[in-house]
Amino acid sequence: MLHSDTKNTLVNLSELSSASSESLTNFMEMGFPTNKWEEWKYASLKSFNEISWRWTPETFTHAVAVPAFQQSLTVQNLNGQTSILGDLPEGLTCVPLNQFLNQNAGFKALYEKRNPLLDQNSLYHLNDAFNQNPFVFCVHKGTPLDISIVHQFILEAQAEPAVIQGKIILYLEEGASLTWIEQQASKGSNSTLFSNYALEIWLSEQAHLTLYKDQDLGNGVSLVDHTFIYQAANSQVDMFTFSINGTFVRNNLHFYIEGPNVVSNLNGLYVPGEGQLMDNHSVVDHRMPHSESNELYKGVLLGNATGVFNGKIFVRKDAQKTNAFQSCKNVLASDRATMNTKPQLEIWADDVKCSHGTTTGQLSEEALFYMRSRGISADAARTLLLLAFVQQVIDKVEIISLRDYLSAKIIQKIEQSWEA
Amino acid sequence: MVFQNLRPYFCASIENSNKMMLSVKDLHARIGEKEILKGINLEVRAGEVHAIMGPNGSGKSTLASVLAGREDYEVTSGSVDFLGKDLLDLAPEERAAEGLFLAFQYPVEIPGVSTTNFMKSAVNEIRKYRGEEAMDAVQFLKMFKEKMAYVNIDQSLLSRALNEGFSGGEKKRNEIFQMAVLEPKLAILDETDSGLDIDALRIVAEGVNKLKSPDNATIVVTHYQRLLDYIIPDFVHVLYKGKIVKSGTKDLALELEERGYDWIISALD
Repeated sequence: MLHSDTKNTLVNLSELSSASSESLTNFMEMGFPTNKWEEWKYASLKSFNEISWRWTPETFTHAVAVPAFQQSLTVQNLNGQTSILGDLPEGLTCVPLNQFLNQNAGFKALYEKRNPLLDQNSLYHLNDAFNQNPFVFCVHKGTPLDISIVHQFILEAQAEPAVIQGKIILYLEEGASLTWIEQQASKGSNSTLFSNYALEIWLSEQAHLTLYKDQDLGNGVSLVDHTFIYQAANSQVDMFTFSINGTFVRNNLHFYIEGPNVVSNLNGLYVPGEGQLMDNHSVVDHRMPHSESNELYKGVLLGNATGVFNGKIFVRKDAQKTNAFQSCKNVLASDRATMNTKPQLEIWADDVKCSHGTTTGQLSEEALFYMRSRGISADAARTLLLLAFVQQVIDKVEIISLRDYLSAKIIQKIEQSWEA
Repeated sequence: MVFQNLRPYFCASIENSNKMMLSVKDLHARIGEKEILKGINLEVRAGEVHAIMGPNGSGKSTLASVLAGREDYEVTSGSVDFLGKDLLDLAPEERAAEGLFLAFQYPVEIPGVSTTNFMKSAVNEIRKYRGEEAMDAVQFLKMFKEKMAYVNIDQSLLSRALNEGFSGGEKKRNEIFQMAVLEPKLAILDETDSGLDIDALRIVAEGVNKLKSPDNATIVVTHYQRLLDYIIPDFVHVLYKGKIVKSGTKDLALELEERGYDWIISALD
């Protein structure tokens, strides 16, 4: 239970009639996560319990540029208001959840038996309270081409501290293929904003999803992202989380492997700077046999940044012949940066291959001197070494315009940190 | 000062025509509390090749490192003038831009950065320092091709991550390739012969010789004489306990090969 004084600041929340009461009660009982919760040890949002939040944001006023990543469609969510720019491509539908559940029995069955791990995740309940009827984007069976969608989830600075919440559901029918490029950004500055966002995805058999997250928020903005992915047999997900900027970024990324011969590729790259914290909590839950997960995370920590990586892999009793690999490598680019890593493997099956490794190091002084002795300035040498370090993740991005775009932003962030 | 006394005798003609490149005066340097260089005096003029020899631990590599600007060493006294500039006042990258090059005894592995990208960064950073325009991809391609021929180096090696998994010979050849690209005024080769078989040694030495001109100079730091069969020095200096204790011509190197260092050391101790 929340302390009584804390609860007072959330009074305006409990008075909101638009929010679902059950989920709200779940949240109210727990409040914002504090460092006393094991799952939020390094990423406390305790101070959020004291803030008098505005729960329904104002109307968005800034202009938003639409990027060109060869997408078939752009979807915008500006301060919580969703709009679709252009016509839906053939094979794609977008319907509110309640309606979609009545239309699509296959999805309904999956949705009703969903079983995510929600331990210490009060913010998922908070998101759920405000998103009872999210849009479901469905790529239908027999859609021949890969559909590519850019989703912009953008917040705008407001007069008062504000919470902006959104949720999207993706459903890929049998054999469907989708590329989803998500930009989480903000406009305006120096304002306390909290983005609490959820993306829930179901892949049917043989479906293939490529998912990019470009998290580039202004200073003062905090983001908690819940991305839960359920995979049926023979499906594949290639996932990328690029955490480029933001005062506080926490990713709760869950993969639920619910059929055999599933492939789950999780890639992450985070570059927190001065005064920033980036936390990746991933869960790969092997519930069925003969599947494979590959997790590759890399971090460059600038200034006095804090990074957190917690990678849970569960291999359930039935998940024989599982291959699960996890790697998290970090470079502290400054003496003041901190990285906390915790791989967590829990294996109940006996015929599996699992490996994990985390490293945290600094740039080699020898390498820096070598480069400088060839005329490369100390800052340029550091930038070059860090880019070489992150290249492995960036190179996996197949859309060249997106790769160049992300690359340029990462270079800029690293270079700016030398000036500070 | 032995060396300075001998100079007019050895090459009076060169001295008059060629300008001073490097002038080291009473250089002292230490690492931690340990003094390693204890008063080095050395003058190098354009067009000259100097060999610095000496037993292990005499300070040869330290001298090379101090000249290149390695920060592990603290210069406690003395001065180094490089083409009219106070070398000790410059950062390592500034020294490189002014025309100093150190071929490393142990070239460092740079994961994820190919030799070509590394050299493109280096060349353009140096050009920026000198107020010159950056070179473009086409110019680089042409220039690299030309320089590759100098050291008989393969394009495939240049595309790989720098020095990562290179053999000893490949690393040293790559050093000479970098030297060819950067065209230094003064090149210091630190134990370039170590870890090389005789064929690799010849290729590396040929590269160095091709790059020699009346306008640049070379300092060869070596423990053994055999490299000097291929790179013929104008002067040979023996470094011992942080000082140059004897200087001479290439004949001195041959004498060292034959008699070792003991006869010089015992005369001193």
